Amino acid sequence: MRSIPSIFMSGLSFLVLLLVMGVALFATFLFAPAERVQGDVYRLLFVHVPSAWLAFFAFGVVAIGSVIYLIRRSPRWDRLAVASAELGVLFTTLALATGSIWGRNVWGVWWQWDPRLTTTLVMWFIYAGYLSLRAYTDDPEIKRRMSAVAGIVGVFSVPLVWFSVEWWRSLHPTPSVTSPGGGLPRDMLLTLLLCVAAFTVLYGIVVRQRMLLEQASSLAEDLTERLHAQSERSDQ
Amino acid sequence: MSKHQPADLADLSKDSTKIPALAVRTLTVRRGRRDVLRNVTFTVQPGERIAIIGSNGSGKTTLLRTIAGLLRPRTGNVHINGVPATSSDSGIRKTVGFLGHRPHLYPYLTARENLQIQARLFGVQNPDLRIDTTLSTVGLATSADRPVREFSRGMQQRLGLGLAMLHSPSVLLLDEPDAGLDPEAIENLPEMISRLCPHSAVMFSTHDERVVTALADQVGRVAQGRVSLPNQDVKETEPSLAREWPDQIGFVAATTTLIVKDIRTEWRAREQVPTLLIFTLLIALVFDMAFIAIIESEAAAVATGLLWTSVLLAATLGGTKLFAAEQERGTLDGLLLAPIDPSSIYVAKFCVLSIETFLVGAMQLGFISLLLNVPLLQGATIGVLALSTTAISAVIALHSSLIINARARELLMPLLSIPIAIPVVLAGVGATLATLEVTPAAQQWPWFGLLAITTAVFLSVGVVLYPYTTK
Repeated sequence: MRSIPSIFMSGLSFLVLLLVMGVALFATFLFAPAERVQGDVYRLLFVHVPSAWLAFFAFGVVAIGSVIYLIRRSPRWDRLAVASAELGVLFTTLALATGSIWGRNVWGVWWQWDPRLTTTLVMWFIYAGYLSLRAYTDDPEIKRRMSAVAGIVGVFSVPLVWFSVEWWRSLHPTPSVTSPGGGLPRDMLLTLLLCVAAFTVLYGIVVRQRMLLEQASSLAEDLTERLHAQSERSDQ
Repeated sequence: MSKHQPADLADLSKDSTKIPALAVRTLTVRRGRRDVLRNVTFTVQPGERIAIIGSNGSGKTTLLRTIAGLLRPRTGNVHINGVPATSSDSGIRKTVGFLGHRPHLYPYLTARENLQIQARLFGVQNPDLRIDTTLSTVGLATSADRPVREFSRGMQQRLGLGLAMLHSPSVLLLDEPDAGLDPEAIENLPEMISRLCPHSAVMFSTHDERVVTALADQVGRVAQGRVSLPNQDVKETEPSLAREWPDQIGFVAATTTLIVKDIRTEWRAREQVPTLLIFTLLIALVFDMAFIAIIESEAAAVATGLLWTSVLLAATLGGTKLFAAEQERGTLDGLLLAPIDPSSIYVAKFCVLSIETFLVGAMQLGFISLLLNVPLLQGATIGVLALSTTAISAVIALHSSLIINARARELLMPLLSIPIAIPVVLAGVGATLATLEVTPAAQQWPWFGLLAITTAVFLSVGVVLYPYTTK
């Protein structure tokens, strides 16, 4: 059963999330000015970039959780990896979807076989494979071990996506925050950073909740198994 | 003293009582979500023979597999001759012989060849003499050069017993050794063990009272996760200092043995390469029909796309069976029991898949050149193919080891492997187009560089991570 401080911290973190999300929404629609050429469509940036950033971050966490799991064999690290992988896939989907809608307005097509887009789709498939491997493996210990290895191998796709716009000719713009000279006006940059912060808080809270859910589900299965074993013994 | 102990062992056993052949301490083993064994502690002295009995599902097999090192205990440990069996140095496995429910046999190899592989992997001294002795002891001298797939169940069990005892292990673990044996062979079982492993501590499971009476000094019962053995002195269960730490077999020797074994098996079975060849050649034929009207400048691009589609398909199809075949035959357990670095199993599988995929790719080079009239068959393209198949095989061999315990392998293999292999395919396509001068010829060198880097990275990752997939 969860302790009172833990419940209090959960409540507090939800309040912080509501606050940060509220401010981010306000900044996205009311504070940041419209873009000179694209008008309001560019506001997709405030969902697209944080989603892409969180996807990279989440897959990095998958790799770290997987490495530590293989060393320590503590299920806690596996729970972190799987929670992060699910969110990573979700954020990648969001980045691809918002990118596609944005691309339709700017490039005139929903999809372009561009290096950044293609490598992002490849990354999505890699982690969809990671989640499928878990779904199709029954033994919990084998599932954790095998998916940890897949989680470590998968992280090699992250630099490929990140550097794709520099290594190949791409329609996709280079990073506007980390590249020298930036490119975003101050208000837009502030809004973007605020949205990144809001998405990161969201990620942290959802990962935490997902880990608790995974732990509870594992505990429930253990208890069911123990009950079965007990009833088998009493039958004997 | 054990009733089966030879006279010359009597003095030895007096000195060695402090170092039991087998010491199991506070062992808890979980399978799935159930603790199959709970807090199991006992010791077995050199020369002792212990029968393990219990109802179906009581944990006998789990106990033997955990002692053999095939399962990782949740808590507790196993010491063989005072050396922790979970030690990262696999040399300790030289001192353990194990016969599982299914003997670890390669059906397309002869009985002698199966024993030769075992002898090489376990570093047996005077292997030819030992193999002859083993074959005659288990009653297979006249069938030594017949392929195992022609053997009856009982003959396979005899050979399995021979494999388990070939390297004279200190601890012999037999899971239902009488399974499939005729009454005469069951009667001879104690003599077989006495001749091949006279000083070994033997632990076996059985449901047959006759085997218990003929073979066992003590009888242990497994029930509700507990093992009860009579005559156990609790003081003796303390871990002892190691007498000697056996060396593991050299990496190159082990890898070479496994590569030769796989190539010989494929040569006789002819299952993998012909399937891949026919499949990919037919794809080329279909593509040729679809692109029959292409203009000349596009032919090179189509040929390149076709080549790499074929290579990727061949590697994925071949890779799906790579470890799965070993798992289904039960021979993967046999390899994991050998005193070798587990990474050598991965490297051997990687080499075999590289060879197979390269062969299929090379055939495709010629076939596509003919069909589409594109000069694919040239030194640079063959070089690109060799490097790319190596990199792709490194990825696929590792993923093949991940899916062996999963359902829907045919879905998982392409889903896991192809996206990861995309940089390799990209470099392969880029380098091929440059060699065909569709893109500037100078561009092929950066692609060669990328191929070399991805090969090195994927192979290193595979070598480091594969052991984690085994336990």
